[in-house]
Amino acid sequence: MDSGYYAASTALIARTQALDTIANNLANASTVGYRAQHNDFSSVLAQASGAPDSDLDQAINNYGIMSGTTLDETQGALQKTGNDLDMAIQGSGFFVVQTSGGPMYTRNGSFQVSSKGLLTTAAGDPVLGDKGTISMPPGSVSISPDGTLSSNGAVAGKLKLVSFTAGTQLTSAGETYYSAPPNTETAATDSTVKQGMLESSNVNPVTSMVELITAQRSAEMMQRELTMYSSEMDKTATQELPKVN
Amino acid sequence: MFHALYTAASGMTAQQINLDNIANNLANASTSGFQSRRVQFSDLLYQSEVMPGSAATQQTTVAAGLQVGLGTRPGNTEIIQTQGDLSSTGNPLDFAIEGTGFFQILMPNNQIGYTRSGSFQPNAQGALVTANGDALQPAITVPANATNITVGSDGTVSATLPGQTNASQVGTIQLATFANPGGLNSIGNNIYLATTASGDPVVGTPGGADGLGTIQQGMLEQANVNIVDEFVNMILAQRSYESNSRVVKAADEMLQGLNQVAQ
Repeated sequence: MDSGYYAASTALIARTQALDTIANNLANASTVGYRAQHNDFSSVLAQASGAPDSDLDQAINNYGIMSGTTLDETQGALQKTGNDLDMAIQGSGFFVVQTSGGPMYTRNGSFQVSSKGLLTTAAGDPVLGDKGTISMPPGSVSISPDGTLSSNGAVAGKLKLVSFTAGTQLTSAGETYYSAPPNTETAATDSTVKQGMLESSNVNPVTSMVELITAQRSAEMMQRELTMYSSEMDKTATQELPKVN
Repeated sequence: MFHALYTAASGMTAQQINLDNIANNLANASTSGFQSRRVQFSDLLYQSEVMPGSAATQQTTVAAGLQVGLGTRPGNTEIIQTQGDLSSTGNPLDFAIEGTGFFQILMPNNQIGYTRSGSFQPNAQGALVTANGDALQPAITVPANATNITVGSDGTVSATLPGQTNASQVGTIQLATFANPGGLNSIGNNIYLATTASGDPVVGTPGGADGLGTIQQGMLEQANVNIVDEFVNMILAQRSYESNSRVVKAADEMLQGLNQVAQ
């Protein structure tokens, strides 16, 4: 009965999920190293049984759902901070962080030195270099574009920068950390490290606002459609038709 | 219910804290030795409705997962380490640090505090103290009858006494530096305390190879607040707050519309 009713409600659910993603992007417009998420909508055939659907069946039962979110990989603007331990990556690479949940990847290069002298993220997880964790020498540190950390000419370590094999899907883990499936990391060849800078969030407020308006208006259309079904068609069918004069 | 309402609320709270910090930076734009701070944000946890890389069929995986983030939170306020402008005061007991070091001062609770505000004066015993009366460490005592006090860029303090032609050395100012000065703890009065995040202080003589910087006598370091940057950040914070409140309104209107469907 009334498959359009379900089509509209499916689409409405998809728009509310889209609004959640847009809200998260806008809330993180000031988060260093944050990558915007884009909504992917797709259609599914509700009656995807083995039997071929008729053209009419396909047309009316092809529901729009939100199937996924993809990360925006564009470079965020680099913002100068002047802090020696702030590092931004120019290029597609990621820093590697050792956490209790295994290696994580981040573009947020706002690092600190722990009480044990290790280079850590703001959350306190050690940042990995080519040879494991990095012990920081006292005093000021300079970082070369290839990620080599040195103090007074003595090399303390080299930051590990990784990219991923094509088609790898990163999973957002919060704290601007991302995780990747095993054996997908490769050495980043196109990335340089900028000391004293941080990468701003790559959320574009303009496109986010346009997405917001589109989601809202499209939700209104679905609501209008639901109202039409319930008040103008079903009501007529159940209340007006049975009145036999 | 929509996460969007709470997600947007987290964005609004974050921008409120951002604005509080900008207000404090601007309020201290004339505080000598003040170092501005910047709020850093991080994203909250994600709800993975479809995990990226999960199987769509036996042979294929989904093209992208469906992960919905739950908003933002202020992570930390980092101290900006850029050098402030040096302004000449003509007062022989005003010192500015050109470099990354900090003066060490002994606070009343016997803790060592760190400051870049180099406005000192002698106390009743002749020891150099800050405006709050905290003594410079290691202690420098200036003879009460000294006619001329000079401080070299390497921190050497010399005083000339009446009737003498040669200045005699009365002490050396030492500076401290930190592996991560961004992690120092501000306690007000331009004083910082060392924390586990900042690391232990490395103390040395100014002008050396340690990168502590040099001392400039008769100068004070102005706050390193960049007014233009702060105003730009203020506009960004305000607009970001607005865009988050726009999301609250959109979510509200969508819910409202939904309620009307059922009428």
